[in-house]
Amino acid sequence: MPGRALRVPPPLRPYLAFARTSFVNLLAYRARYFVGIATYFFNASVWYYIWRALFAEQPPGARLGGFTFPQMLTYVATGWALRSFYFNEVDREIASQVREGRLAMTLIKPVDFQAMTLSQALGESAFRAVLFTAPILLVLVLVYPLLPPASPRALALFALSGVLSALLVGALNFCVGLVAIRTTSILGVLRAKYLVLELLSGLLVPVAFFPEKVARVLRWLPFLHMNDTPGRLYLGLVSGPEAALALALQAGWVLVLLGLGRLLWRATRSRVEVQGG
Amino acid sequence: MSAPAVRVRDLVKTFEVARKEPGLAGALKGLFSSRKTTLTAVDRISFDLARGEMVGYIGPNGAGKSTTIKILTGILTPTSGEVDCGGFVPWRDRRAYTKSIGVVFGQRTQLWWDIAVVESFQLLKEIYGVAEADYRRRMAVFDDLLDVGRLLAQPVRKLSLGERMRCDLAASLLHEPPLLFLDEPTIGLDVVAKANVRAFLKEVNRRLGTTVILTTHDLDDIEELCERVVLIDRGQVLYDGPLAGLRDRHLPQARIRFDLKEPPSGDPATLAVGRWAAARVAASRYEIVVDKRETLPAEVLREVVNRLPVLDLSVSEPDIEEVVARIYRENAALHRAEGGADEPPAPRPETIRRGVRRG
Repeated sequence: MPGRALRVPPPLRPYLAFARTSFVNLLAYRARYFVGIATYFFNASVWYYIWRALFAEQPPGARLGGFTFPQMLTYVATGWALRSFYFNEVDREIASQVREGRLAMTLIKPVDFQAMTLSQALGESAFRAVLFTAPILLVLVLVYPLLPPASPRALALFALSGVLSALLVGALNFCVGLVAIRTTSILGVLRAKYLVLELLSGLLVPVAFFPEKVARVLRWLPFLHMNDTPGRLYLGLVSGPEAALALALQAGWVLVLLGLGRLLWRATRSRVEVQGG
Repeated sequence: MSAPAVRVRDLVKTFEVARKEPGLAGALKGLFSSRKTTLTAVDRISFDLARGEMVGYIGPNGAGKSTTIKILTGILTPTSGEVDCGGFVPWRDRRAYTKSIGVVFGQRTQLWWDIAVVESFQLLKEIYGVAEADYRRRMAVFDDLLDVGRLLAQPVRKLSLGERMRCDLAASLLHEPPLLFLDEPTIGLDVVAKANVRAFLKEVNRRLGTTVILTTHDLDDIEELCERVVLIDRGQVLYDGPLAGLRDRHLPQARIRFDLKEPPSGDPATLAVGRWAAARVAASRYEIVVDKRETLPAEVLREVVNRLPVLDLSVSEPDIEEVVARIYRENAALHRAEGGADEPPAPRPETIRRGVRRG
């Protein structure tokens, strides 16, 4: 690790260190993740049986919402695997830091709060990729007849899009955390967020099943880029210029949410009166 | 004279607090309108700190100590007033400024709770851009002075309070900041741990010339470490000067205590000694308290020795704790007399001056 760290430009080194420390910190909790693997497997399995039942009504080889049964199954599996990778609780952490007055310990450090938070989120994703997502995928591949990626190129685009998903979720959760502390019910806001994300990201229902008008709006919102975009890239359902556009939109949303996060932080910063006096 | 390390002028910090009315009707009313009251936590505080000075910043609970520290460390933005810490305005230049300060909040830790202490130090090394050689050298010094070496491999949650405080102190000084803020650094520590912390702070101040601001409820900390004390109450500076001066000004007493060879007949509650009356504090033990502004303690001593069969004799000054407690009481009484309100006065409308950065 040190050999590689030397080549990192000095301004970024604290943030790499935050990501690394976050990774090490999660190792202390690794037992919790073994339970999580079972949970994700269970979730993916539920959707496997639901879709199997729906496809059983159809003639063999039929498509629902543009998906064949193996494609749908793979879409669901990659969706849950992605979620296991990009998931973080940055929002809850920010809210509890403020509530418990721990934010003071962060503010006395010469670091950018948003960059620090996102570095920790990425450190968490790196940890999850190795100890969580990889085993989950392995179990899913062994148990269900998943499709391989459409092409090596599709796999590469999927991986790139997956990383952008993690950035997108991190940037969004930073904003959600800052909004939540302005309300009296932090948990309420977070619960609402999970519902919206799961419904609108394509994790529960592919966007093709929404009414056309809703689907058209959804394509211009950030949520689909968390699950649907990488899932369809994997299956090769989007490729060529369409794929480039999807990735550009995804990256664009990352930038927009990062900018929004900065504005929110600036507006919140002076209002955050750290407890005690 | 060189510029002060810290310069504070007319610092004011007010908080808006929503006032809740009691009962169901009050709760319903609160849904539509919330009445806000303004609390003034810091009310026109000014002081300077010279480079290398160690100053005790004391006051009763709620006096505004922590609020001042939070403003000076860049955490809070004041309502008005100027602060200049080595050319920085803390709340405006936060990221550049915090490189030059170390902060310890005794009730919190800046170390990661569940992982080995050394991981937190590695992180701090990167945050402050401390070179590897400096890091090794400083860690060796910390091990030498604070005995932290054997704690590095343990997770913070397994450390005792004293051990954790030693690590937190080392962590706050890893980048050798010229300015150090300590908020209750000895809170909850036992006698030995307190002594360790104090010895370490003295050594740091001597070696590095670190300017130190220390808030504490333990006045022994101040007596051992600080030549100067700034005493605040209700957001205002009541006293700024040497600790000894505090005693001379507010409780200039001497206590002459003596033991007699045998109890006087009748074991009286008071005993006349020339012009003075001695009060009985225990069997054959008496005490005379005099105001030093009126009476020389030596005069009393001579009188006692000449008139009575004395076995043992001592002269002492009041505890600094006692002096400070008296000041708080007097100030509270003064406020009651002035208008009854026990709450700090509402801030006067005045133009808000933001801090000006200087050279």
